[in-house]
Amino acid sequence: MTGNIRVAGEQKQGLARAGQIYHDRDIRMRQLKAEGRKVLGYLDIYPVLEMLTALDLVPFGILGDIKEPISRADACLPTIVCPFLRSALDLGLKGRYDFLDGLVAAHTCEVGEKWAHIWRIYIDLPYIHYIDTPHTTHQSAREHLAVLLSDFQGTLESFTGAKLTPERLRRAIRMHNEQRALVRGLYDLRKPDPPLIAGTEVVQVLVALISLPVEEGNELLRQVIDEVKQRHDGPKKKPARLLLWGSVVDSTDLIAMIEDLEANVVMDDTFVGSRAYFSDVKLTDDPLEGLAEHYLVDIRNPRTFRETALDEANRKDYWADLESRHGYLKDYAREWNVNGVILQTLRYCDIQGYEVPGLKDYLEHIGLPCTYLEWNYSQAALSPLRTRVQAFLEVIG
Amino acid sequence: MAWFMGIDIGSGTSKGVITEDGRPVARHLLPSGGNYRATAQRLREELLARAGLSAEDIACTMTTGHTVNLPFATERVTDIRCCARGINSLFPSVRTVIDIQGMSSQVVRLSEKGQVTNFVVSERCAAGSGRFLDVIANVLRIDLADVGPISLKSRSAVTFTTGCAVFGESEAISRVSEGAAVEDILAGVHEALAEKVSALVARVGLEKDCAISGGGALNIGLAQSIERKLRIKLLVPPHPQFVNALGAAIIAEERSKVAASPRPETK
Repeated sequence: MTGNIRVAGEQKQGLARAGQIYHDRDIRMRQLKAEGRKVLGYLDIYPVLEMLTALDLVPFGILGDIKEPISRADACLPTIVCPFLRSALDLGLKGRYDFLDGLVAAHTCEVGEKWAHIWRIYIDLPYIHYIDTPHTTHQSAREHLAVLLSDFQGTLESFTGAKLTPERLRRAIRMHNEQRALVRGLYDLRKPDPPLIAGTEVVQVLVALISLPVEEGNELLRQVIDEVKQRHDGPKKKPARLLLWGSVVDSTDLIAMIEDLEANVVMDDTFVGSRAYFSDVKLTDDPLEGLAEHYLVDIRNPRTFRETALDEANRKDYWADLESRHGYLKDYAREWNVNGVILQTLRYCDIQGYEVPGLKDYLEHIGLPCTYLEWNYSQAALSPLRTRVQAFLEVIG
Repeated sequence: MAWFMGIDIGSGTSKGVITEDGRPVARHLLPSGGNYRATAQRLREELLARAGLSAEDIACTMTTGHTVNLPFATERVTDIRCCARGINSLFPSVRTVIDIQGMSSQVVRLSEKGQVTNFVVSERCAAGSGRFLDVIANVLRIDLADVGPISLKSRSAVTFTTGCAVFGESEAISRVSEGAAVEDILAGVHEALAEKVSALVARVGLEKDCAISGGGALNIGLAQSIERKLRIKLLVPPHPQFVNALGAAIIAEERSKVAASPRPETK
């Protein structure tokens, strides 16, 4: 019975359980290890988790910690790179992830690539695999990714001694698709005004999801959705309904700062947020093809260069190109009744940062006010941002 | 008769203004020191004494800047909003204001009613802020108040390759060791700061009239450098470092009027 997990001697359910796992992420992983399961850490949303689940491996999302000063990672990575990745490596070097049996990383960004190789050098694990995920959506790139996933399958089979059959993989894809559908159901609870669930609570649930096996995560989601629908003490109605876009948001601190003001964060386009969950993997004859299509094409993320879908005559139409790249955000804004957007990137996050000028143009073009925050992945960095958010809320009224 | 108070706790100095019918009737400034709460309390007491008023005479107090929760304040408002309100009361024609503060700079676009329509704040470090001038004045062993007038004597401004206060300090030391004249170094610092400020202006767009506020506006050399860079004439308030405190007092007055206005009858 996956829904009745005992955590630290006390059985929790729904939001309380999500909060408990959010604050104590490794507790379930260590229990599963004691039961003989193997846990593989992964970074960002491009490692293909379905392949881990299909082989009974437990995926665990590696995150940073904005409350932990970065110290040991500075001996291995330059200080002028993504502070989230520096923090994640720092925690690894300090033993925070010493329960891992392995690591799967993918080419999310240049620093992410270096990060994976540096982790391999400094933190010895029985299994490490790196997927050199392409950055374009051409047919050749999709075919190449399917080949890379076939290589990944080979190393996983060697590591586990088990065969990754198409049937097992399809079963895992269905489980992960169910999780995606449940997360979308969770996000539906943010559509009413006031939203039924706070942005901070959603972050706690999503961080818990990447700290649990998929079937336990799905059970947690069902509990949370039921609980939130029935409770009467949700968030208060506030004038601003915001969409948060950009770099990783792996703690509640940024959203708590925003929601402490006259705003509810009702939608996001981030990792650990909606990005991984808003499209399903298609069940193709060769499951690897469907997975390649999903991870390369379906997931909307600035790390993948999406050549404009426009024909040759309109290829240089700036506004049409922006519509083609960012139109889904307009849909989000309409469905979640958003009246302002906060674009946030971590300092040195080039992947997201390059997207900002065009995205600002697009949002202004469609009449959606936005503000841009660049921050340094530390609690101390949040205080000056508060004034900017407050001023932005004053601007949008 | 009702009076209203605005308190602006800055990183270097704290300012207070009392208004009556939207007009300033008293102002006071203190070094912020290391205890903002105590400074705010003292500022309030001395400001009241200057105005010949008691605490009970103040109908509403708003605070801004590096404020903590002060028991005598009704609410805390952003310095961006205060800047817009303050400058609007002084120069109703202004649509863009450049606010050079001790630790940051900001450019605020505002409507004819003094509402913020857009803004941008300098990023994370002291580049483009008054702190840069502090650092350079300290290197050159001159009084901060003399920086502006001395710089006007320059005939060949030194080119600074950075707007960063930390690197700027070592660059200034290098120029001193090379024998550059003090006025040329200061003029170069102003050019570097003006470059940073004009980049901020470009991000939100410049709409005339344009004013400059904050402690940085007291520096004639910096103001002229920004004017040259933006190719405009800046409006400078008589007491530019009090603009945000004035704005806070005006917001206090507006808040009181809203609270006092009768609710429309429901049919």
